[in-house]
Amino acid sequence: MAKENETREALETLRAAILQYDVEAARSAAQAVVDRGIDPMLAIREAIAGSTDILHRRFDSGECYLPHLVMAGDAMTAASQVLESAIPRESVPAKKVVVIGTVEADLHSVGKNIVAMMLRSAGFEVHDLGVDVKSSAFVTRARETGADIIALSCLMTTTRPYQREVIEELEAAGLRDRFKVIVGGGPITREWASHIGADGYGADAMEGLEVAKRLVGIGT
Amino acid sequence: MSLLDIAERTQKGPKMDENAWNMGLFRKMNELTEKYQLVYPDDGSFFNMDDDLADRAFQAGIELLVDTGVYCISTGRVIRFSRQEVMDAIRAMPAEVRVGEGKDARVLKKRRLGEREALNFRSGHHAPWSEEFAPLVIKNFAQIPSCDYLEGINFAVVDGREIHGMPMEVYAARREAAWLREGVRKAGRPGLAIAYYPISTRAPVMIAPIDQEAGLRSTDGVLLSVLPDMKVEQDYVAAAIVYEERGCFKVNGGGGGFVGGFAGGLGGGIIGGVARPIVGFLVYRDEISYAGVGRMQATVPGAKMRFDPGMCWGVSVVCQALNRNTNIVYFGGSVGAADPGSGTETRLWSLVGNMAAPINGGNLSGPRQHRAQMNASQNPLEAEWLYEVATASMRSGIDRAMASDLLRKLNERLEGRVAEETVHITQCYDLVNHKPLPDYEKTYLKVKEEVARLGLDFR
Repeated sequence: MAKENETREALETLRAAILQYDVEAARSAAQAVVDRGIDPMLAIREAIAGSTDILHRRFDSGECYLPHLVMAGDAMTAASQVLESAIPRESVPAKKVVVIGTVEADLHSVGKNIVAMMLRSAGFEVHDLGVDVKSSAFVTRARETGADIIALSCLMTTTRPYQREVIEELEAAGLRDRFKVIVGGGPITREWASHIGADGYGADAMEGLEVAKRLVGIGT
Repeated sequence: MSLLDIAERTQKGPKMDENAWNMGLFRKMNELTEKYQLVYPDDGSFFNMDDDLADRAFQAGIELLVDTGVYCISTGRVIRFSRQEVMDAIRAMPAEVRVGEGKDARVLKKRRLGEREALNFRSGHHAPWSEEFAPLVIKNFAQIPSCDYLEGINFAVVDGREIHGMPMEVYAARREAAWLREGVRKAGRPGLAIAYYPISTRAPVMIAPIDQEAGLRSTDGVLLSVLPDMKVEQDYVAAAIVYEERGCFKVNGGGGGFVGGFAGGLGGGIIGGVARPIVGFLVYRDEISYAGVGRMQATVPGAKMRFDPGMCWGVSVVCQALNRNTNIVYFGGSVGAADPGSGTETRLWSLVGNMAAPINGGNLSGPRQHRAQMNASQNPLEAEWLYEVATASMRSGIDRAMASDLLRKLNERLEGRVAEETVHITQCYDLVNHKPLPDYEKTYLKVKEEVARLGLDFR
């Protein structure tokens, strides 16, 4: 019973540090978990992954903002590094990898930034290519990182054909089946996503995150 | 400072990683919010009644510009300004901008807070319309007598071909301007000013529509908008150089502040809302700006219909700050409830928030759904309605206290309602005959009658 309480307390301390966006406190709390011999995988599942839903609800309700997701992501990363060092390498769960960016000729980044932060805080390894990204750059980075998902954002009606272009480049390179492609952004609809052969579509960041998780089999 | 000074600074300013810029901006916004005490009183008020707070918001915006500058995403460099340069730019902002020609020439003016003179009005567009609708839609919006200028449209297909790649973007840009000219001519207003809405943000596409005969004249304009998080881009500086020589007017469609992004909360949104119109003039020579503050997270159908007091208050702070301390001609100061679809009753209710524009010293922007959908994000009746509402607000002598009371009553009236999905233009409006379809007109008359009972004088 005392051991259970101690475990619960340690995990709560770690979760609180993440939800307070405190990188150092998260790192210390993670170290305390390791020092007490608590299962690091349990801490990753319950304290780190368990913080994600709370963060996303806060963001959706306007209680916290994009920078908070960034800071929470940093805290999670710091804690994960400590916890993973206590797990045999072969047992460390491989992170699912996302390459994300705003397509060529489009400079809008707000939506893409939100999705990137949400994916990161949900435990994905995120490679953000920025804005005005050439279609070939998505493909190249996906290959280099062994990505699971390519996420394409656009906010202008006239730039959405570049989302299709990425898929066409994957097909031309014989790589279409290696990567899941999800699309989103203001002018993007479910019909467009289906029309271009995307694997998923998110009407907003929360839906985009759920779609990404479903596509890679997380939380299903 | 000239545009060439800006151009040089985009190339020579200090390098900074964009993530470092983003988080630095958040920290600075928090620091300034605290320093200048830009805090909503949390008393349910819809309008700021504290002139000193508005002036503090202005000072916070200036300090932000002087301490951090702006970020050029094209080069990853920071453009810094001295306090003198910022203040000189503010003094140089024109209080009047002449647009259009002949009998359709208009003067867009800076308004005083609460002024009751006729508003300037951009009746439509900044929305997606397909090519089969474009010239007829433009004619409809240009036919609205109170319209002073029109902004362009965006679209995905031209001459039946997908717009993909720069050559097609250039062609589409020229077609947009040509349709705008055709539409205003068909409306009997050939001299009405048009402002090009970017097909893409690449410099060649931005300057492609210039054509005295068939496209943008020197009495027309262009949208050169500041990006969120105090960011600018070289292609727009290039376009600004060309349009400045041409004599065209420039509009900052990115003049509002955002809550929820890297500016942080409402305080940061207010500071951004003050700073971005100034940035538009500093960096692009935008003589006209949108103004206000909004939430970064886009609302979706099903959101509750409610005029948020804190956000309305934020809009008033931004407008008061700009109005009291600059000459900038701004379109804004309106408030909205969620983001209901076009052609719906809830949209008409949301547009009643335009009664706040004259109180906040703003001119009127046409209706535009945040999550705009092709051929389904605005209609001429909505444009005429919001102008009616703003004019009625002035006629009724609505001041801040009365407007607050009215917004409270509206929230009571809208309790339990959710934002409706948008409706295709053909399902609510007859563009050929320039009139709403019967059911939609009934909806409009019903809403108008109810709003009149709440206190607006529509005589």
